[in-house]
Amino acid sequence: MQIWHLISVRLVGIIFSICFCLAISSRAQTVPASFGGPLVAHHTQAKLLLSADTAKPGDTILVGVDLKMEPGWHTYWKNPGEAGQATEIKWELPPGVTAGAIEWPLPEKLPPAEVTTYGYENEVMLLVPLTLETNLSAGTLNLAAKVSWLECKEVCIPAGADVQAALVVGSETKTSADAALIESWEKKVPFTLTGSATDHAWWEAPASGDTRTLVIGHLTPKPTNTITFDFIKYDSADFFPEASEHYEIQGPTEITSAFASDIRLRKVVKKFDGDWPTQILGVLVLQHGNWRNGNEARLTVADEPPADAGASEKLFAPKPPAPALPLPSPILWQMLLYAFIGGLILNIMPCVLPVIALKILGFVGEARSDPGRVRKLGLIYALGVLVSFLALAEIVIGVKSAGHHAGWGMQFGNPVFIVCLITLVTLVALNLFGVFEVVPGGRALNAAGELASKPGAGGAFFNGVLATALATPCTAPFLSIALGFAFSQPPATIVLIFLTVGLGLSAPYVVLSWNPAWLKLLPKPGAWMEKFKIAMGFPMLATVVWLFSVASGSYGKNVLWLGVFLVIVAFAAWIYGEFVQRGRKHRIVATIITLMVLAGGYVFALEKELDWREAMPMADTTGSLKESVNGIDWQRWSPEAVAQARAEGHPVIVDFTADWCLTCQVNKKTSIEIPSVRKKLKEINAVALLGDYTHFPDSITSELNRYNRAGVPLVLVYPKKPDAEPIVLPEVLTPGIVLDALDRAVQ
Amino acid sequence: MKKTLALFTALTLASAVMAVEVGKPAPDFTGTDITGKTVKLSDYKGKIVVIESYNSDCPYCHNQYATGATQDLQKELAAKGVVWLMVNSVNPKNFSHRSPGQAQKEWADLKIAATAWIDDSSGAIGHLYEMKTTPHTFVVDKDGTLVYDGAMDNKPDPSHDPRTARNYVREAVNDLLAGKPVEVSQTKPYGCAVHYAD
Repeated sequence: MQIWHLISVRLVGIIFSICFCLAISSRAQTVPASFGGPLVAHHTQAKLLLSADTAKPGDTILVGVDLKMEPGWHTYWKNPGEAGQATEIKWELPPGVTAGAIEWPLPEKLPPAEVTTYGYENEVMLLVPLTLETNLSAGTLNLAAKVSWLECKEVCIPAGADVQAALVVGSETKTSADAALIESWEKKVPFTLTGSATDHAWWEAPASGDTRTLVIGHLTPKPTNTITFDFIKYDSADFFPEASEHYEIQGPTEITSAFASDIRLRKVVKKFDGDWPTQILGVLVLQHGNWRNGNEARLTVADEPPADAGASEKLFAPKPPAPALPLPSPILWQMLLYAFIGGLILNIMPCVLPVIALKILGFVGEARSDPGRVRKLGLIYALGVLVSFLALAEIVIGVKSAGHHAGWGMQFGNPVFIVCLITLVTLVALNLFGVFEVVPGGRALNAAGELASKPGAGGAFFNGVLATALATPCTAPFLSIALGFAFSQPPATIVLIFLTVGLGLSAPYVVLSWNPAWLKLLPKPGAWMEKFKIAMGFPMLATVVWLFSVASGSYGKNVLWLGVFLVIVAFAAWIYGEFVQRGRKHRIVATIITLMVLAGGYVFALEKELDWREAMPMADTTGSLKESVNGIDWQRWSPEAVAQARAEGHPVIVDFTADWCLTCQVNKKTSIEIPSVRKKLKEINAVALLGDYTHFPDSITSELNRYNRAGVPLVLVYPKKPDAEPIVLPEVLTPGIVLDALDRAVQ
Repeated sequence: MKKTLALFTALTLASAVMAVEVGKPAPDFTGTDITGKTVKLSDYKGKIVVIESYNSDCPYCHNQYATGATQDLQKELAAKGVVWLMVNSVNPKNFSHRSPGQAQKEWADLKIAATAWIDDSSGAIGHLYEMKTTPHTFVVDKDGTLVYDGAMDNKPDPSHDPRTARNYVREAVNDLLAGKPVEVSQTKPYGCAVHYAD
């Protein structure tokens, strides 16, 4: 069982981390293509990287001037803002090579608030296209430039460096090892947006003295139908202007509307001389969660808002509530796609894996029957999943409206839920072992009439419910992004996303049941099925053991009584199966005995000894949470602990985990609590903090929400640089991902 | 969002009410100079006053003083009866903060020829004048009206020779003395951000 979990998780991990690894390893490369190597100049290192080792005459190749700033230091954008100075590149190029203008990646607005500046922290690569003339002769060219910049922290220092690199002119173009890195920076350069939305700028009022208020709008023409789709809001929007000698678009931005289809920003323009500008250039910056995008904007300034932008009072009037079934915006579409893919992947996450056994069995059993019936069962399974997800969505909405934090898998922090689930899974295992049979056609589906009357329908529905119940402690790649998004959304969106996850979870089975021809590939039903069924009981037992260990977190040593209760339940199930279902005589007596055993077990073990509805208070241990003598020296997580460790100059790794989170446990075994990571942590003198989410503390929920996650696992690596943003690791880890992140943390 | 809104409103209000605006009365202030003397802008009514935000650790300021260009300008204008007030708004925790003792030494070492160096480590005067950068200069005429707000000169570069640049402060003072309207009354200041207290 454990092995199966590991294999499946590793497989998913490998597939989904390939891209991530590529991205990291290309970032982590420090071997410059240029000769001479990096030059240290004050607090910034500059080097020249080429996207090609060999180019042919007539080519245009992209080169990058890479600036690496020490922690806390920054350099400036092409418009430094109210202070600072833009970085300059003076090329010294051989004849026949010409340099284009610098392409600047999207900068950050840098503190302090009083003086707005635009620039880069940690690292930036300024990109320049170099064009080779067509009549260039073959040979090696030395490309050189003098780079000068102003670097500031508490003080500002003008600094510079000479950089150079060699380019071979030949008969073909060969990309270099740095091409991927250069390309990754090219993606950060603002681009001209294409789409239905257009950018506008207009004066809100006549000038007052030498200042005047400007409105910048990113507006989508109103569709002709009555459905509006502006219920998606950006977290943040801003406009970074280009510099002008004659006027200045000041730093503060007031967002009057952040709806995706109707973004409006208010900026104050201060004029130095001449007329009020009629055209402004800059970058419209849109942000949603981790997604941040810069759109090149060239705006003609009008005296009035555009005709279809609505009356000016609309600017300040509250938005009408979104209709119940809104047409989703691109972001919601993307989130729905993530939700669907996440749901699909959930099928092979360790939590749901045992249920697969049940489903495989179901399909084999049904493979030869009437196709219509197989389809119905597929749909009923999907219905079971969807109804469960709807219930989950309702719970989340309820918890949220009560003002509490909601999170994926939160019911696993509730011991009553655990006891019910563990009892249920024990019964499923016993059922698979053949101890007793489930008479299908449960009463829950009576309303569904005909469907319910046929054997198998209730079972299919139950499978759907069970799959969902077991799925909740897992998050999967993609799923966490979608859920993190959903948890911050209005109820309609929560329901929509949850149902989409359900669709993803059930899709493979619906598709299979729709194509009976594929089902025929499965082995013919026969005596082997009985053996297979029994074999599949063991994964269920393993699930019981896991749930048992989760329960021990709530009950401590008393969890023994939960075990006793399960044994009594098993005994009752055996009496029921052997003497009620298969018995010939005294079936009523046997039924009474079954009920008495169950009641006795409940009263004695659960109520009296375990006191199951009252979890033991959490022992608030302090000090090391080390798991073994040589293990990582975990300390308890708190925001203060992070701040303190960073203030002392340590890189920090934070593992948000929970006993019930199987993905977390697998991550720990395969990629965190391993010798190479232990050694690396010691080497870089890192502080390891463990955030235990088993009992759902609010402090961790809000931390998860900050990273747009709805649940664990969440592993963060805070770089040594005290004000750098933490590196957020993916849900499924490999040792490489963890080690790479730790390497980056001390760069 | 709320914070941004508040900040925005505050800034809008500040510029509307107190208004450091060319053509309007320059806001009055009282400060203490590095010798402990009280300096009040309105005491200089009847004289032209130059106000300069200053931090010699900033390469842009440093360049103006290391070349001696600003000291020469200070002497040149002092001879014409012009008052020159330096305002240092660097917060006390910053590396570039100067105690009165350090400031007096710097004054002597650099042969500064201004009227006074005001210790504004609270940032009160800097914020009142919306000083963005070091250097950021202002010229106030004899009636107390602000006539120039902006850069010291037209070369936003920490390594130029300031003597070859077009000095807007000198031009504004000379325009006033000649009884002419000030030709360039506003420019974009350049330099390092003022290191205000949080």
